Amino acid sequence: MDPMKAQQLAAELEVEMMADMYNRMTNACHRKCVPPHYKEAELTKGESVCLDRCVAKYLDLHERLGRKLTELSVQDEEMMRKAAVGSG
Amino acid sequence: MCSLLSSAPFPQRALSLGNMAAATEAGSAAAASEPAGPTSAAPTADGQQLQYSLILSHLVGDRRPVKELSPAVMGGLPMPHKSEEQKMIERGMESCGFKAALACVGGFVLGGAFGIFTAGIDTNVGLDPKDPLRTPTAKEVLKDMGQRGMSYAKNFAIVGAMFSCTECIIESHRGVSDWKNAVYSGCVTGGAIGFRAGLKAGVLGCGGFAAFSAAIEYYLR
Repeated sequence: MDPMKAQQLAAELEVEMMADMYNRMTNACHRKCVPPHYKEAELTKGESVCLDRCVAKYLDLHERLGRKLTELSVQDEEMMRKAAVGSG
Repeated sequence: MCSLLSSAPFPQRALSLGNMAAATEAGSAAAASEPAGPTSAAPTADGQQLQYSLILSHLVGDRRPVKELSPAVMGGLPMPHKSEEQKMIERGMESCGFKAALACVGGFVLGGAFGIFTAGIDTNVGLDPKDPLRTPTAKEVLKDMGQRGMSYAKNFAIVGAMFSCTECIIESHRGVSDWKNAVYSGCVTGGAIGFRAGLKAGVLGCGGFAAFSAAIEYYLR
């Protein structure tokens, strides 16, 4: 497949991917770090520290898993190609 | 996570990819939204074949572009960026040092008021050691009030600063805001104060101050 086409397709998908990731990250970190008590409107120190850590971990996870997925995908393709060449 | 992604024979690899996609539902979003199946190529509407590994490398792999992560780009509410100075000021005001200083000043003022008040309601007898029954002059009374006020103020300031500082540190470490932070820091403060008079006094101070903090937190929450 043409790398330019792949890049264009990725650019189109990326907007949706980032929006989805942001939504899920906000939901997950809100669920984990902000208990539903709401005694005051401001974020307390403990909550803001927890949110910092949550976002950092989430983005780190996203990056590592993305890299791993790409690696595995490449390996899969190699295997498929070998299988196709072997049977063909 | 590592055991899930370790090398495995092909049919199990497909399963593990599917599992990974499901397992990262709560973690990463992008992997789950891509149909990562065993076949790496699939026909599109215009007859061209999609090569997933290439697309993925441009999306989440090594060839992804440098992204500016701002909420407006990713779908959050568009808000004007905070300036660097504003961020610095806010960071300073949320810091533990600032809170401790605030508690110190507050404690000083409160201690001074409390000391002057107690000096006022205390008896005047015995102010002059040489002649205990003489009514002291106004200057002597004021001097006594000032001394007591200063002594109380210093004590309150130190205790307040210590309590606030330890509470902030414990809260930052735990990452949770609840009543336990005040109890732990009350124990540390009381223990530190009482420890100067021996271990048993330290333990008693810890218990007493922690109970006092717990009562205040119960009242406040």
